[in-house]
Amino acid sequence: MLGSLADRIVQALLGVDPAVWPYTWLVHLGLMVGVALLAFIFIALFAGPVTWVERRIAGRMMSRIGPNRVGPQGVLQWLADGLKCFLKEDLIPAEADQRMFRFAPYLVFGGYMATFVVLPFGANLVAADLDVGLLYLLAVGGLVVIGILMAGWSSNNKWALFGGIRSAAQLVSYEIPSAFALMTVVLAAGTLSMQGIVRAQGGWPWEWFLFKNPFLFVAFFLSLTASVAESNRTPFDLPEGESELVAGFHVEYSGMRFLWFMFAEWGNLWVISALGSVAFLGGWQIPGVSPDTLGGATGLGWVGWQLLSFVVFVLKASALVAFVIQLRWTLPRLRVDQMMIVCWKYFVPLALVCVAGVLVLLVAVPEGGPIDWMLRGASMLAFAVLVAVYVRRTRAAYLADRDLYRRMEGKELWYPPYRLP
Amino acid sequence: MTFSDLVERLKAALGDGVVGVDEAHFDPAVRVRPQDVKQACRLLRDTLGMDTLRLLTAIDRPPESIEVAWHLVSVRGDTGTLVLKTTLPREAPKVATVSDVWASANWFEREQFDLLGVIFEGHPKLKRLMLPEDWVGHPLRKDYVRPDAYHGIPTSRENVTPVRTVSVPEHVAKAPETEGLMLLNMGPHHPATHGVLNFLLETDGEIVRRATPDVGYLHRGIEKLAELNAYAGTMPYTDRVDYLGGMFTNQAWAMAVERVAGIEVPRRAEFCRVIACELNRIASHLIATGCMAMDLGAYTPFIHWLRERETINDLMERICGARLTYTYMRLGGVARDIDAATLDKLLRWADHFEVMTLEFDRLITTNEIFVRRLATIATLQPADALSYAIVGPNLRASGIPWDLRRSEPYSVYPELEFDIPVGQGWRGRVGDAYDRFKVRLQEMHQSLRILRQAIAMLPEGEVRAKVPRVLKVPANEAYARVEAPRGEAGFYVVSDGTDRPWRVRIRTGCFTAMPLIEFLSPGLMVADIVALIGSLDVIAPEVDR
Repeated sequence: MLGSLADRIVQALLGVDPAVWPYTWLVHLGLMVGVALLAFIFIALFAGPVTWVERRIAGRMMSRIGPNRVGPQGVLQWLADGLKCFLKEDLIPAEADQRMFRFAPYLVFGGYMATFVVLPFGANLVAADLDVGLLYLLAVGGLVVIGILMAGWSSNNKWALFGGIRSAAQLVSYEIPSAFALMTVVLAAGTLSMQGIVRAQGGWPWEWFLFKNPFLFVAFFLSLTASVAESNRTPFDLPEGESELVAGFHVEYSGMRFLWFMFAEWGNLWVISALGSVAFLGGWQIPGVSPDTLGGATGLGWVGWQLLSFVVFVLKASALVAFVIQLRWTLPRLRVDQMMIVCWKYFVPLALVCVAGVLVLLVAVPEGGPIDWMLRGASMLAFAVLVAVYVRRTRAAYLADRDLYRRMEGKELWYPPYRLP
Repeated sequence: MTFSDLVERLKAALGDGVVGVDEAHFDPAVRVRPQDVKQACRLLRDTLGMDTLRLLTAIDRPPESIEVAWHLVSVRGDTGTLVLKTTLPREAPKVATVSDVWASANWFEREQFDLLGVIFEGHPKLKRLMLPEDWVGHPLRKDYVRPDAYHGIPTSRENVTPVRTVSVPEHVAKAPETEGLMLLNMGPHHPATHGVLNFLLETDGEIVRRATPDVGYLHRGIEKLAELNAYAGTMPYTDRVDYLGGMFTNQAWAMAVERVAGIEVPRRAEFCRVIACELNRIASHLIATGCMAMDLGAYTPFIHWLRERETINDLMERICGARLTYTYMRLGGVARDIDAATLDKLLRWADHFEVMTLEFDRLITTNEIFVRRLATIATLQPADALSYAIVGPNLRASGIPWDLRRSEPYSVYPELEFDIPVGQGWRGRVGDAYDRFKVRLQEMHQSLRILRQAIAMLPEGEVRAKVPRVLKVPANEAYARVEAPRGEAGFYVVSDGTDRPWRVRIRTGCFTAMPLIEFLSPGLMVADIVALIGSLDVIAPEVDR
């Protein structure tokens, strides 16, 4: 896609045939770098505000307000935080391994950044649609382990070392169920390319892999949970478990170096959500619009379709982000042995069962047949039940709170349920 | 078994060992010869049912003697309470250790050695507990002279600033590195230690082989301060002993002085005390249970409980003008009356709070991760609990219904109806961390019951007895204890006829809970240590005082 775009640009600007012009690859490279830069800006712009969103959601869940001072409703809080970290002293412990200590945050951040290369933000908005996109994504995710382990080891602090070791154990373990769960998608799509996976799905929910069959349905939750574990978030935040390990592997970091870790953490929140939506929720597919319509448009229409697909993708991923944030502020932390048990005793076998099940169904059930539709219907029903339970419980809690507030204070709650606090 | 039966049995066994009997004081006392202490203690524990050593006090009696008193109580038996006393020569105060009879004696003896220089022969580790190893002298001796400086840090107020020449003591590891184990300093600044506490963890990977508590960071010498103050002047210090349950230490101090001075408390004042205390108990348990959830990584329940506590703080502010260090009690009553508007607000909050506990249960108590983090972790057997003199919810979680409000009734509690929740092994074993958590939750409901009854029964009348401005107390002694959120809050007051106490000894629940961490820790994981500390609800100033 990016290649064809480059070809078009060469054709339009220079009027030469891109196939014979010797410098076409330079234009390709330039475009790739440009898109990668855009992605970098996006990760920066995403990781910042999402901290504000997370803190406001956490505030709402804890019946307090959250940051609301910097800018309207506190939306610029992340800029203030970033500025503060810029101005902080960059402390490096005297006994630390200086080079490794300095390098570790960049390695972690680089690992997360590299995943953006293959994330398809829209129909044609992808830095490089690699044939082995999914494999590449899992592989560069592994870089993070090395960075975290380096940070934990080089700090020369036992708490940091604890965090680093826990992190290594956790990430290496959870990569297995995570990869197996994504393998189901690869089987269903028949390709490892991220764009290929999106194109194999459709815009409507019943065309998503999430609802294709019950095994993929289970695999989605497996993959999401394993991803949460890989990104060190509660209930799997053992590497930095605040009340146990103080701050874990980044306990000795301050200022900008600390910020790189935080960038990576919240950036990764986006990566796992984007991965979830690409693999299971149809990615950027707009309901009712075929990918050919998107690609075939020209000029302003093309830009419009691209933007629309981008919006669809961001909406899906944001919904997952909100879900993961809610998880964090609801659940306590697992213990390290429980974390391992969950992975090896439950997730790995379950993921293997999912792979086998998807294989069998792919062979046995013809696409579009009555059984295929029944399987899709069953998955959607299960999802509907989950959503209904969630909404019911949330609503009941809200109503109970409202009544209590009225009884205690003699007036209504100060915010309606649909508004951000 | 009555006290005279006890004395008969002791006399039969020890013969001349029993020197005297003293029934005049609040707790009857038996005096024995120093060399017979160990035998008496064994006898008392093994055949006379004294299963708990609740307090060990040394009292300096210059010029020639030091008195040591063992406060014993029979929790599971019917022998009541007994004080065992002995007199030692002041120059060489030596007595046999009883740390092999009751485990709680270990730390009590170390503390008395530290502060008064009594040597307990045969003690496994007779080292200073509160003060630094290189401290000179024993501060609670009457002839103790305070040094001008410690490592260049001035000790008097005149030359506190500027400090220019502080010679930092050379850093010495507090425990030797064991082969194959990693020594990990948990604290003094650690989010999970609830105050300035230090634990020396010897870990084998994630598994803790031993956790040794290292206390004394918050030692402010309140026992010494109380000796220097008039009786009423000590009241504000008692808040600082237990900053989450100031009402209880207030009440224990007031009760102790009222007992030695023979002051009658008006009935309305007793009810005011009960209302304030039970409100305080809920506030303290809110912090205990909320912090426990936070220690396990769940922040939301803690913040919800803080909001509830905020309302209690507002109520406390209306009751006594303070939100944390209340100083609400006075000798012979309370500082001021509770008005009807406050009581009305309290009752409305009680209704609200009951619903909130359900929400808390939905959020965390029934959460499977939370339950599995706590169930079957750090199980405390009843016999160990008694030997370590564990009190309060921690003891009740082990299945022993020992609550001072019922077992040794005080104030107007006999007139009030409430249950004593005990550990049932709800999700694991009786006495595990989850039981300790759940018992606290249930106690909050019982406190609400008491609050509603006390408000309904609140009589009219004075809230303060007439107490002379300069209170001179005849030579007497009393050990007053109340059921605080962390167990027994007790003050042992020895008066000498002047306007200041001769010796004050403070008993808190946490002091005996701390050595328990060392006992329960082997084999736990690092994260479990956090859960264990949280479930015992240890707070540092109570340990150090």
